[in-house]
Amino acid sequence: MTVKVEVIEGGIPHNKIMIAGIVSTLVCLYLTYLNVLTSTEMFSFFGGLAVIAALIWGSHTIKVLCSYGIGTGVPSAGMIAFGSGVIAMLLATKFGFYAPIVAAVLAAIIGFILGYVSNNILNMKIPAMVQALTEMAVVGALSLMGFAALITGGFTFAGLTTGHVTVMGMTLLTHEQSFLGGCLIAVAFLLGAIAIQHPFNACLGPGWTQDRMLMLTAECGFLSMLVAAIMSFALISTGSALISLIIAIIGWAYTYNEYMVLSKRDAAAWLDAKPIPEVEGH
Amino acid sequence: MEHIVFGIGITALTGALATVAGSAEDTESNIGSQGDPNSQVQLAPQMGFLHRIFNKAVAGEPPAYGLWCALGAGLAWAFMAMQFNAVLAIVLGSVLAVFVQGVYATTAYVGRTASLSKFGQPVYVDILKSMTTVTMAHAFIAIFATVALCQLINGALGHPFPLPLLGLVWGIALGAAGSATGNPYYGKERQYQNQKFGAGVPISASGNIVRYAEAGERNSLDNGWFTTKIGGSAAGVCFGLIVFLELWRTVLFEQVAAGWGAIVVGVLMILVFTVIDRYIEVWARKNYGPYTEAKEASS
Repeated sequence: MTVKVEVIEGGIPHNKIMIAGIVSTLVCLYLTYLNVLTSTEMFSFFGGLAVIAALIWGSHTIKVLCSYGIGTGVPSAGMIAFGSGVIAMLLATKFGFYAPIVAAVLAAIIGFILGYVSNNILNMKIPAMVQALTEMAVVGALSLMGFAALITGGFTFAGLTTGHVTVMGMTLLTHEQSFLGGCLIAVAFLLGAIAIQHPFNACLGPGWTQDRMLMLTAECGFLSMLVAAIMSFALISTGSALISLIIAIIGWAYTYNEYMVLSKRDAAAWLDAKPIPEVEGH
Repeated sequence: MEHIVFGIGITALTGALATVAGSAEDTESNIGSQGDPNSQVQLAPQMGFLHRIFNKAVAGEPPAYGLWCALGAGLAWAFMAMQFNAVLAIVLGSVLAVFVQGVYATTAYVGRTASLSKFGQPVYVDILKSMTTVTMAHAFIAIFATVALCQLINGALGHPFPLPLLGLVWGIALGAAGSATGNPYYGKERQYQNQKFGAGVPISASGNIVRYAEAGERNSLDNGWFTTKIGGSAAGVCFGLIVFLELWRTVLFEQVAAGWGAIVVGVLMILVFTVIDRYIEVWARKNYGPYTEAKEASS
């Protein structure tokens, strides 16, 4: 089943989105490193922006892949992106400063292998499969790293596995109150996996438009950032978490509004409490 | 002995919470036409059958509920880490998760419908307002009950998994139970009341879903009202039994043979249920008969 059901007409070409996506994601991830350089947690919000940049790229990759009848539904693409990405991300956190780059390279290798297996061993024979799975594994790994940086303020293994708990005025080190120990990574996994597949899943059809879908991706990204910022109150200082939260709320409100405007533009009609229109022949 | 009695009490409580969660989940997904009925709701306008049915396909129910419950649990975990009271933390976590669910529902409906503009399907703002709020209310019950039972499993029964991971696991189980048990009632019967009972969906009838109600035009609240009766209850019983039996075997038999007792009992339960399921299937086929004749649909 390799019938291509839709083609991309007009809009920004995919390669441009891919390059812009990987560059801005890596830049945003490295900007969270300012936390280490300045010994604060104020720059954690760049992790959330990295997530949004990666998601925009990833949702367009899903559009490219799922335009072929892959036979498993769009949400499965989001799951495999984060499922393959989480392996690379966790291993890469051991590399300290180089973690984002190591994550991207490792994820690309894992994604390539998965793409090869699906196309050549499982015989799915979909032309875009190898490249798309490679890209999506990178997106998954970098998004998870972005969530980690947003919630904990860093992307190193030590930072993700240790937290602090205050008992009777004494600050104790604990592994339970941390990104990995508290399994917040499970929440980050699904926040990303649903946010990456939702835009194409919600906008597919004959009236698909690129700007509307990418605006929805940004909206999903900011929405995920919003709730992740609330979770970050538990692990980073209140002021830093507040900065992330305010940026997320402003970004979300803007993109949600813009998305509704674009949908109104594309919809056949925008009716309030009106009956079903009469169509000839039925 | 005492801790077994305590464990069984907690097990009964989680089972009751799970029943409520399953029932609310199925009703929520049916009002949103989520899961397998969705394809027909999506297809109908393309076949010329414009409708006023809500269509919020965020994902399949298991991943969607995996997210809502994991998110509710993750936020509750974070609030508890900030020294919030557990009940307050779970309520706040569920409220925020429901907010995310509601936003996803609106963008899904608007996006899908806008992409069908070629076929003249309009976006109904009144549908968006009234259906989204009702799904959010049901989703809150489902998420709150699931996160609460996860907290009981973690806090009272001492399960080693942290709350967000339990939320993920039981959220996916909740979505799967609702999707497998409740959906066929909506997708195969309610949407196709104009077809012979048990006929399935003939190709010629694809997209010809029932669009008119007892009075006026059918919307998804009518579907929710209809499926709550049997589909919702069945999904509730299903998820309630899953949670109850899973914890029951663990609480009672975990001490036997260093944990192997619980595993053996689990395998035995699967065998017993396989026999029961097979018996019901054969009985139903004998009584209702196979559908043989493919009839032309009237459109």
